[in-house]
Amino acid sequence: MISLAGRDILHGWGKYMLTGVGLGLLIGVTLSMAGVYRGMVDDAQALLDNSQADLWVVQKDTLGPYAEPSNLAEDSERPIQAMRGVAQAAGVTYLTMQIAHGDEDVRVMVVGAEMGAPGLPGQPTHLVAGRHIVRGHYEAVADVKSGFAIGDRVKVRRNFYTIVGLTSRMVSSGGDPMLFLSLKDAQAAQFQKDSDAILRQRARIAASPQLNPPGNPAVSQAVKAVQSENNNVNAVLVTLSPNAQPDEVAAAIRRWQRLTVYTRAQMEEILVDKLIANSARQIAMFLVILSIVSAAIVAFIIYTMTIGKIREIAVLKLIGTRDRTIAWMILQQALGLGLIGFVVGKIAASLWAPFFPKYVLLLPADSIRGFFAVMLICTLASVLAIQAALKVDPAEAIGG
Amino acid sequence: MADGILIENVVKTYGSGDTAVHALRGVDMAVAKGEVVGLIGPSGSGKSTLLKCLGAVIEPTSGRMTIGDRCIYDNGWKVRDLRALRRDLIGFIFQAPYLIPFLDVTDNVALLPMLAGKSNAVARKEARDLLGALDVGHRAAAMPSQLSGGEQQRVAIARALINRPPVILADEPTAPLDGQRALAVVGLLNDMAQQFDTAIIIVTHDEKIIPTFKRLYNIRDGRTVEEVPGASVPEVPA
Repeated sequence: MISLAGRDILHGWGKYMLTGVGLGLLIGVTLSMAGVYRGMVDDAQALLDNSQADLWVVQKDTLGPYAEPSNLAEDSERPIQAMRGVAQAAGVTYLTMQIAHGDEDVRVMVVGAEMGAPGLPGQPTHLVAGRHIVRGHYEAVADVKSGFAIGDRVKVRRNFYTIVGLTSRMVSSGGDPMLFLSLKDAQAAQFQKDSDAILRQRARIAASPQLNPPGNPAVSQAVKAVQSENNNVNAVLVTLSPNAQPDEVAAAIRRWQRLTVYTRAQMEEILVDKLIANSARQIAMFLVILSIVSAAIVAFIIYTMTIGKIREIAVLKLIGTRDRTIAWMILQQALGLGLIGFVVGKIAASLWAPFFPKYVLLLPADSIRGFFAVMLICTLASVLAIQAALKVDPAEAIGG
Repeated sequence: MADGILIENVVKTYGSGDTAVHALRGVDMAVAKGEVVGLIGPSGSGKSTLLKCLGAVIEPTSGRMTIGDRCIYDNGWKVRDLRALRRDLIGFIFQAPYLIPFLDVTDNVALLPMLAGKSNAVARKEARDLLGALDVGHRAAAMPSQLSGGEQQRVAIARALINRPPVILADEPTAPLDGQRALAVVGLLNDMAQQFDTAIIIVTHDEKIIPTFKRLYNIRDGRTVEEVPGASVPEVPA
């Protein structure tokens, strides 16, 4: 038996292909939306991977350092370092800010990491060019996504930093490229006040009888010294000794240091389920709407194609064609349209993904799921047309 | 009468009660194998209803219909698989050819034997042979849109004949054709009826072809009257 669907498609292949391409662009948008979500999750996981930490120690009762502000003393790391099961501990600061690069502003996440010894958690990994930070001040390592080049000088707050190395896939959970500074430089950038604020603060101290008691200038000097210290960090990143259990070490730190500690799984949950949850829901809504729109379009196209062949269908039925043959013809056309649409959509999504401002991750598994979803949508969309075709009375082929 | 078509007291009523429409009020017809008869009558007289009943498209209200030696309807009893019945026992020719536009000429004709279970190769060979016999063999690879009206009608005749049905029902097959071509088509149907031993009923309004029938049925108010062409001038509506 010949393929009636195939012959019909070949007969009007130009119109059919153009329809498939149109549908494909819609499917491409749908795949890209899924890719944006995957990219966000991947960015979050990359952030955790790149920190090289097993545990995140943060200010008590906060979801820091990525989802909520968290401040703790830099020297918190020393007692943590001494605890059983801890291999390394290092303070780290995170600050998302805009910095000038030529005529444009670049949004980066400034990361302050301890550079004292190689391999400490929080240091930049995946260096693709240049070197690590080796000087105590005014050197930076940037992610290539920032657009910075080695040798560029960038201004962060009041100071200029020279880019000495470039990394890849070192981004925040929001996809902003990271700019690594030494911990001291980053602390200064995050916590140091500007000159006017310092002057106003000094004036307040001088005017306060409690902070500047008459005849005892040492008190105000001490207050000023304390207030100008920048020794806070946002988190202490901890790597564990081999065989140490993350939950056990985390419990010990919570108990003895009275700080909040997150394991990798907990931090992943915070990032994926809390930080990007709203975005994920938004994208899911888009996916649902796009799927409904795609289904409506396929249904409309297939229905229109079928209605345009009512007389032929009546003749086919009159000369003895089975209902299932006619239904299969319509279903094949719908599935063919879906197949063309999916191939075009997949190619389109792959071509335009690099031009998205956010990372778009097109997973093969998502493509496979997308393929089956498209086929299912096309099958459902063809139901209306099949019903219309099966209702056609063969008597319509005979006049009168 | 030899085995062909036998219609006995067929009644078809649409609706019921006060709104009932009596389309056929007891039609009797007999067409022998190899015979071509005409069926004429004014609009609304019941021609199409009779054709649909005989074509197993609609069910009569009562009566008896036989095709060849097979009873297809008998006062409420009917053949279960009407689709197969239409495919195997009845050929249809319509007012317009109604060829499937996305199939070439060969496949338009070969589709029926394919539906009946024959292989594509066998069905296509049979189709090409028949198209040759109908003098359109040279157009076998063409698409319907590339054919003239006369060629399309010949292909439609080939499609009706391909499964060698005992009956062909032709619904105004010469309507779109000029006088010469109309007569040629009727001549061709007569030849085919003889060659394939097929009973053919041609529903027509076409005055040009009416004199060519040896027997003619005139249907009025749901009843048939047999007439001899030339013996009286049949009433044909404008």
